[in-house]
Amino acid sequence: MIPVMIVGGVFCFLTFEYINYEETDEYLTFEMGRYIVHHNKNNVLSEAYHFAYLIPGKNYLKPVFKDTVLFEPGDNEMIPYRELHFSITHDGKVYGVALRHLLLPYEVVAKGTVTIVIGLLLLIAFIIFIIMNQVTRKIWKPFYAALDNLVNFKIEHSLPVFSATDIDEFKALNTTLSSLLKKVTDDYRHNKEFNENASHELQTHLAVIRASAEKLLNSPNTAGEQRINELQKIYSASSHLSQVQKSLLLLSKINNREFYNNVDLDLCIVIKQSLEIFTEAANLRGIEIRLKLEPVIIFIDSGLAEILINNLIKNAVKYNVENGFIDIALNSSALIIKNSGLPYAGDPNTLFERFVHGETGNLGIGLAIVREICELYHYSISYTISGQTEHALNIKF
Amino acid sequence: VVDGYSGKQLKKTNMKILIVEDNIKLLEAIEDALSSEKFRCETTISFTGAYEKVLLYKYDIIIVDINLPDGSGLDLIKEIKKNDITSGILVISARNSLDNKIEGLTLGADDYITKPFDMAELIARVKAVLRRRNFSGSNRVTIGDIVIETESREVYVCNQKIELTRAEYDILLFFISNPGRVLTREGIAEHIWGDNMDLADSFDFIYSHIKNLRKKIMATGTLNPVKAVYGVGYKFEISNQ
Repeated sequence: MIPVMIVGGVFCFLTFEYINYEETDEYLTFEMGRYIVHHNKNNVLSEAYHFAYLIPGKNYLKPVFKDTVLFEPGDNEMIPYRELHFSITHDGKVYGVALRHLLLPYEVVAKGTVTIVIGLLLLIAFIIFIIMNQVTRKIWKPFYAALDNLVNFKIEHSLPVFSATDIDEFKALNTTLSSLLKKVTDDYRHNKEFNENASHELQTHLAVIRASAEKLLNSPNTAGEQRINELQKIYSASSHLSQVQKSLLLLSKINNREFYNNVDLDLCIVIKQSLEIFTEAANLRGIEIRLKLEPVIIFIDSGLAEILINNLIKNAVKYNVENGFIDIALNSSALIIKNSGLPYAGDPNTLFERFVHGETGNLGIGLAIVREICELYHYSISYTISGQTEHALNIKF
Repeated sequence: VVDGYSGKQLKKTNMKILIVEDNIKLLEAIEDALSSEKFRCETTISFTGAYEKVLLYKYDIIIVDINLPDGSGLDLIKEIKKNDITSGILVISARNSLDNKIEGLTLGADDYITKPFDMAELIARVKAVLRRRNFSGSNRVTIGDIVIETESREVYVCNQKIELTRAEYDILLFFISNPGRVLTREGIAEHIWGDNMDLADSFDFIYSHIKNLRKKIMATGTLNPVKAVYGVGYKFEISNQ
C-alpha cells in the first residue's frame, strides 16, 4: 500500500507539474501571438497581455521560457513565475519582450497531489472492502454451510446433507467430509452394537455358568472339600468376569456418550446418597467421615454423577486404613476427597489407568471410570499423596 | 415346616410365576430354583408365547427378559399394563444401561435385576415383590424365633426387638428369603452394594457384618442361625428345637 502510495504520489505530482508548465507555456505562447498581432496592428509595445518588461536591444532567435521567483509582499513569500522571452522589432529597433504568468506553487501542487492520492486510496480501499465482502460471502457460502453442518453434527443423529456447490475444492471437501462422517457414524454404530451383543450374549451365558455353579454348591451330593473349592473358583471367576465386563462396557458407553441426559443436579445430595451406601462399611473399619459440603448445582447426567461419586467414595473406603479418616469438601469450584491410606511409592496419577491395582486382585477400573467421566465434562482431576499416607483426589469443575 | 413363609402369611404353593427367557439353560435354572421354593412355574421362550399366556392365565409374578428373539420385554410390560393385568413384574436384563432400568420401572415393572444374578438374589427379589404387592395380606416374615416387619424394617428375635444396621437388616432378610440355601460372599456383596463394590474387597466387610448380626441375634438367647460354609459363604438354618 505504502510503496503504491509513494510511487503513485510521485507520478501524480510530476504529472501535475508537467501540466502546470505545459498549460502556462501554452497560455504564454498564445499571449505572445496576441501581443505580436496587437503590435503589428497598432505598432505599439503594449503593456497588456501579461507583459512584464522590455529588454531593449535583446535579440532572441526564438522564444525562450524562463522560470523566476518574485517576492509577494502581500503573502510575504516567494511565488514562482514563468516567463516567455521573445524579440520584436519596433520602429526598426529590436526589443526583447518578457511576458510573465503565475505558476502554481510547488507546495500547492504537492498538497493537492497528496490529498488526491489519499482520497483515491481511501475510496479504492472502501470499494475493495465492499466488493471483497460480497464476493467472499458468496464464494465461501458452501464452506460455511459445511462448517455449520460439522459444528451441529451429533453422532447419534442422522448424517448431515451437504449443499451442492460449483466450486471444485468445496465439492471435494464436502465429499470427503460426508464419507468421513459416514465412517465415524458407522464405527460408532458398530461399536454400540458390539457392546449390546457382548453385553447380552456374555452376561446371559455367564448367568448360566453362575446359576449352575450355585446349584452345585447347594447340592448336598457335592461333598468333598476339593470339589467345593473348584466350584467356588468357577463361581468366583464368573462373578468377577461379569463385573469386569460390566465395568469395561460402562467405560465404553461413557466414551460413546450413551449417557448424556444432563440435568441440573445438586452434587451435595448425590454425595449424601452415596454415603448411605458406604458409611456402614467405613464404620466397620473405624473410619471417621468428615464433611464440609456446600450445595453445588452442576449440569451432569444423573447416572454418571452417581457412578462418579460412588467410585470416589468407594475408593476412599477401600484403600483406607483401620481408624483412618475421609474428608469430603465440596464447594462451587471443586470437590476434594482426602483419605488416609497406605504409602504409595509410584506416581499417583498412574492410578487412573485401567487395572493398575492388579496386584491386590482389585479391578482397578474405578478410577479409570472416574477419569473418563471427568474428561467427558471437562473437569480437571488430580491425585496427590502428601505426607506419604494422605491421599487426595481433587476435581475442579 | 420351617421357612420364610410358613403358616398363614403366604400360601406360597399357590403362587404362580411366568418366566419369559429365551436362553433355555438359564430358563431351566430359574425354573429349577423357583420350583425348589415351591412356586408354580410356567415358562416360555418368546414374546408371542408370553403374550398369549398372560392374556389367558393369571400369574402372580411375571419374570421377563428384555431381550427376546421376537420382541422386547419392555413391549410385553406395555401390553400387560394395557390389558389391566395386575401381576407383579420383575425385569431381567443383560443390559446394564441406566436408561433401560429407568424405562422398565417407569413402564410399571416392580423390580429390575441384571444378568448374571444369583438364584438366591432372584428368589429374594420375587419374595420382596410378593410382599410389596401385599398378596399375603401381611408385611410380616416369620422364621423360627425371628420375626421381621418389612414395612417398618423392625426385627424381633424371641419377642425382643433388636436394632440392626441397614446392611445387617438387608443381609438378614436376604438369608430369610433363602433359608437352607448357601449364600456366597459375592452374592451377599451384590445384594448389599449392587455394582458399587468390587467383590474381592467386600469380603472383609461382609465378614464383619455377619459377625455383628450373629452377635445381636444370639444376644437374645437363640442359637446361631448363620452358619459359615467354608470357602464359599454362609447358610441360614434354624435348628429344630
